[in-house]
Amino acid sequence: MAFVQNVPFFSIMISMFSGIVSSVLPKKPAKWLNTAAISVIGAMSAWLLGYMIEVGGSYTFMMGHFPAPWGNEIRAGALEACMALVFCIIMLLSMLGGRKKLDEEVEHSKHNIYYILTDLLLSSLLALIYTNDLFTAYVFVEINTISACGLIMIRQNGRTIEAAVRYMIMSLLGSGLLLMGICMLYDLTGHLLMSNIKEAVHGIMEAGTYRIPMIITIGLMTVGLAIKSALFPFHSWLPDAYGYSTVSSAAMLSSLVSKGYIFLLVKIFYRVIGFDVICSSKIINVLFVFGLCAMIFGSVSAIWEKDIRRMIAFSSVAQIGYIYMGFGLGTTEGVVASLFHIMAHAATKSLLFISAIGLTDVSAGSRSFFDLNGAAYRNKIAGIGFTVGSLSMVGIPTFAGFVSKLLFAEAAVIHPSQKMLPTLIVLAISTILNAIYFLKTVIRIYVPEKDSVAKEKGFTTVSIKEQKLYTATIIAFVVLNLVLGMMSEPIIDIIQTGLGNFA
Amino acid sequence: MNQSITIILAIFFPVICGAVILLMPKFRERKKLLKASGAVLVLTAVLALCVVTGGDTELTLLYLGENLKLFFRVDALGKMFAVVISIVWLLAGFYSFEYMKHEQEEKRYFGFYLMVYGILLALCFAGNLITFYMFYELMTLSSVPLVLHSRTKEAIMAGLKYLFYSLCGAYLVLLGIYFLSRYTTTLDFLPGGTLDMTLAAGHEELLLTVAFLMILGFGVKAGMFPMHAWLPTAHPVAPAPASAVLSGLIVKAGVLGIIRAVYYIIGADFLKGTWVQTAWLTLTLITVFMGSMLAYREKAMKKRLAYSTVSQASYILFGLALLQPDAMTGSLLHVVFHAFIKSCLFLCAGAIIYKTGKTNVDEMRGIGKEMPVTIWCYTFASMALIGIPPASGFISKWYLATGSLKTGISVFSWLGPVVLLVSALLTAGYLLPVTIHGFLPGADYDYASLKKSEPVKMMVVPLIVLACLAVLLGVFPNPLTSYVSEIIGTLM
Amino acid sequence: MFGSNFMPNMGEEIAMILFGIGFANLLLQKNLIKKIIGLNIMDTAVYLFLAEKGYISGRVAPIVVNGVQSVEAYINPIPSGLVLTGIVVSVSVTALMLSLTVRLYKRYHTLDLDEISSRLKKEGL
Repeated sequence: MAFVQNVPFFSIMISMFSGIVSSVLPKKPAKWLNTAAISVIGAMSAWLLGYMIEVGGSYTFMMGHFPAPWGNEIRAGALEACMALVFCIIMLLSMLGGRKKLDEEVEHSKHNIYYILTDLLLSSLLALIYTNDLFTAYVFVEINTISACGLIMIRQNGRTIEAAVRYMIMSLLGSGLLLMGICMLYDLTGHLLMSNIKEAVHGIMEAGTYRIPMIITIGLMTVGLAIKSALFPFHSWLPDAYGYSTVSSAAMLSSLVSKGYIFLLVKIFYRVIGFDVICSSKIINVLFVFGLCAMIFGSVSAIWEKDIRRMIAFSSVAQIGYIYMGFGLGTTEGVVASLFHIMAHAATKSLLFISAIGLTDVSAGSRSFFDLNGAAYRNKIAGIGFTVGSLSMVGIPTFAGFVSKLLFAEAAVIHPSQKMLPTLIVLAISTILNAIYFLKTVIRIYVPEKDSVAKEKGFTTVSIKEQKLYTATIIAFVVLNLVLGMMSEPIIDIIQTGLGNFA
Repeated sequence: MNQSITIILAIFFPVICGAVILLMPKFRERKKLLKASGAVLVLTAVLALCVVTGGDTELTLLYLGENLKLFFRVDALGKMFAVVISIVWLLAGFYSFEYMKHEQEEKRYFGFYLMVYGILLALCFAGNLITFYMFYELMTLSSVPLVLHSRTKEAIMAGLKYLFYSLCGAYLVLLGIYFLSRYTTTLDFLPGGTLDMTLAAGHEELLLTVAFLMILGFGVKAGMFPMHAWLPTAHPVAPAPASAVLSGLIVKAGVLGIIRAVYYIIGADFLKGTWVQTAWLTLTLITVFMGSMLAYREKAMKKRLAYSTVSQASYILFGLALLQPDAMTGSLLHVVFHAFIKSCLFLCAGAIIYKTGKTNVDEMRGIGKEMPVTIWCYTFASMALIGIPPASGFISKWYLATGSLKTGISVFSWLGPVVLLVSALLTAGYLLPVTIHGFLPGADYDYASLKKSEPVKMMVVPLIVLACLAVLLGVFPNPLTSYVSEIIGTLM
Repeated sequence: MFGSNFMPNMGEEIAMILFGIGFANLLLQKNLIKKIIGLNIMDTAVYLFLAEKGYISGRVAPIVVNGVQSVEAYINPIPSGLVLTGIVVSVSVTALMLSLTVRLYKRYHTLDLDEISSRLKKEGL
C-alpha cells in the first residue's frame, strides 16, 4: 500500500483532533491551528488526487482490525479526493474572508468554540465523503448537523437562535428518516458496508422478493437527505439561517453542509442501492418535480426579497433545485452535471456571501437593497467579487456557472424520455429570473449615491489597502471560479470516472 | 506580422485598454483620457484593417471543453462587418470626444466604448457558434453601461429592459446551440451549413423549432417583432454617439448571428418552404410596417430614429428570410448602408441636442438655418434611407424587391415589395419634416434671433464622412455588390 | 383481517407506529418541549425496531458470563451496538435542542415557536 493512501484517514483524524485540541487552546492558537489544519488537509487531498489520477480506480482502507464484512472501511478515489480538495479550499477561503466580521460579531470568549465547530464540520464532511459504512455515515451526518447548528447560532441574537431551532427540527426529521431507512436496509441485507449491501440488494432485486420494503427504504433515505439539504419545500429554515448568521457560517452552510449530504446521497444511489434500481423506482421523478419547483420558487422568492443576504440564500434554494433536477433526470450525464454544479455552486455562493458582506459593511451595515447604491465604489474589491459571482450565477461563459448550466442542458437534450422539455423550459425561466435579481443588484451597486445622502446614512469607504486579507480572499475566489469555468474538462473527467468506479 | 497575432491583438487590445482606462484613476484627466482613447481607437482600427487585408485564416485560441473551443476564422462576411464596424466606431469615437463634454463620467464611457469595439471585432471573426455566443453575451453586458450612462431612473430601467430582453434572446440561442451540437457535424461555421442529415433524419420538426427559436433569439438584438420593445427604450437614453453605434452596429450583431446560424450552421436549403420561413417572413413584415408606423407617430427625435431602426433592421431580416440570392444581396448591402445612415442620423440628432438642447421634432423649426451643414448631412442620409436614387438605400431595396418577386412564394413574393414600398413612404414621412421645417421655417420665423450654431469640426467631419458614404456607395455600388454576391455564391 | 405475518412482527409494527407518532409530533407541535418529546419517541422507535430485529427468541444477550458458549447461544450483537451508538447521538441532539429551547425561553418567555417567529418579525431584526 502506498503511503499516500493513508491520506483520507489522516485528514479525518487531523481535523477531528485539531477540534478537540482547540477546546483547551486560547483564541489565537485555535485560529492558527484551524487554518493550518484546513490547509494541510487541502494539500494532502491534492496529493491524493494527483496519485489517484495517476493510478486510476479506487481503493478501500481498513479501519481497525476487522476485515470487510464486519469492520469499518474508508474508500477513496479521484472523485472523493477532488471533492475533499474543493471543500477544503472553499472552507479556507470562507474562514479567511469572514474573519474580520467574526471578530466584530461574535463574543471573544466564543471564538475558539467557533474554530472547534469548524474543525468538526470539516471532519464530518470528510467522513461523509470517504466512508464506506452506512452507519458511520449516519453518525457523521449528525455531527455535521450539530456543528452546523453551532455555526448558525454562534452569533447570538433572537433570529439566529430561532433559525438554529428551525434548522435542527428539519434536520432531525431528515436524520430520523435516514436512520430508519438505514435500519431497514440493514434488516433487509444484513450488512452495513456499502459494497456488501449492494451485492445483497442486487440479489434481492434478482429474486424479486421484498420489492416494496426496498422502495420504502430508498424513499426514506432519499427524502431524509433531501430534507436535510433543504430541497423545496423543506427550505423554510434556510433563509434565516443563511441570512442572519455570521458570514463565514453562511458561506460554509450554503456551499458545504448541504453539499455533504448531497454527496452522501450520490453515494447511496451508486454504491449502496445501484443506480439502475434507483432509476426504476419512481423516487427520482419526485426529486425531479421538486427540483424544478425549487428552481422556480427559489428564484421568485429571491426577486421579491429586499435583503441582500436573504436574496442570496433564496438563490441557494434554487441552486439546490438544480442539483436535484440533475439527479431526477436519472441519467449518468445528469448526475455528472449535478456533481459539477455542487462544486460550481459552492465556489460561487460562498464568493457571493463574502462579497455581499463587504458591500453591506460600507453601507452602514444596512442589508436593505435600497442602501446598496454605489456600494461597489465604496468597496471596490467586494463589488468585483459580487459581479463575478453574479455573472457566474447567470451563466455567462468563462465562469463556473456556465459550465454546469451547459452540462445540465446537454444532459436534458440527450435524455430519452419526456423530461427533456420541462427541464429546458424551467432551466430557461430560472436562468432569466436569476439574471433579473442578480444583475439588478449589480447595477444598483454601481449606481453612485449622492454624497449628501451617503453622509446622512453614514456610508463609509474602504480601500483595498485596509483589507488585504479580504482582497486576497476575493481574488482567490474569483480565480477559483475562472478555473472551474475555463478548465472544466479534467474535472468532468474525474467526475465521470469516479461515478464509473462507484458502480 | 503573423496573422493570428494580429487577430488576437485586434480583439483583446481594445478590451484590455478599455479595462485599464476604467481601472486607472489617472485617466480622470480629460486630456489624457482623450489621447489614450483616440490612440487605442486608431490602433485597433489599423489592426482590424491588417486582419481584413490579410488572407483568410483560422486560429484556435483555447479549449474550454471537449467541443467547446474558442475558435476564430476570418472570412469574407466577417471582413465586411469588421470594416463597417471599424469605420463607424472610429467616426463615432471622434465625435464623442466633443460630444461627451456635456456628459459626466467620460472615463467610464470611453472604457466601455473601447471594450465593446474589441468584442464586436471578435464577433465578426468568431469561427464557431460557441465563440460567437460567448462574445455575444459579453457584448450585451459591456454595452449595458453605455445605455444606462446617465444613471437617471429612466436610463436604469431602460438598461434593465435591454438586459432582460437580450438575455432572454441569448438563452433561446443557447437552447438552440444545445440541440444543434447534437445534430450537426461541427459547430464551426461552414458555408451551406453543417447539419448532419443522417442524424437529423426523423427529427426535422424538432430542428425546425430549434431554428425558429434561434432566429427569434438573435432577432431580439435586431429588434424583430415580438421582442422589439427594448430597442426604442434603450437606444434613445444613451448618449448620442452610443445610440449611433447601438442602432447602427449592435443591432447588426443580431443580424450577423442570424446569418451565421441560418446560412452557416443550419443551411438555407433546410428551411426553404417550411413553416419557419413563413413565420419568419410574417414577423419581419409586421416589424417593417409597425416600426415605420410607430416612428411616424413619435415626436421625440431620437426615439423616432430608434423606431426607424426597428423597421430597417427587419428589411435586412426580410431579405434573409427569403432565402434567395438576390434578396440576400439586398440584405447584406442594407447592413452596410443602414449602419452608415443610421449612425449619421443619430449623430445629427446628437449634434442638435448638443448645440440647442432640442429633442422634439416640433421644436426644430428653422434648425437648418442655425446649423446648415448638420441638417444637410441629415438630409442626405435621410434620402439614402428612404431609397431615393441614386443614394444607397435605393440599391439595397431594389435587390430586396426583385429578390422577393423572384422567389415565387405565393403571397409574400408580392406582399413583401408592397410593404417595403409603404414603409419607404412612411420613412419619407417621418424623416423629411425635419429637413423641410428646418430649412423652410415659414414666414413667421424670427430671422433676427438667428445665430449660427454649427458644432465644431470634430463633430461635423464624422457627419460629413458618413453622409458621403451613404450617398456615394449608392452611386458606385458595383465593388460592394460584387463582393457581396461572391459571399452569397458560396452560400447558395 | 390481518395476514399471517401480523402477530410475529408485532414489535416492528409498534415501532413503526411510534415512529410515525414521534415524527408527526416533531413536525407539527408548536410547543418546543413537545417537539423534543416527539424527537425522543421517534428515536426510541428506531431503537425498538433495531432491537426487535436483532433479537432471536430463546437466546441471550452476547455478554460472556460463564465462559464463551457456542455462537448459537447469543443474539446478533450488531443491532445492539447500533442502538448504543444511536442513543449517544440522540442524547447529544436532545441536549442541544433543550439548550436552544432554554435560550429562546429566556429571551421570549414562551415555548411557542410560531409566536417567537411573529415577535421576531415585529422586532424587525
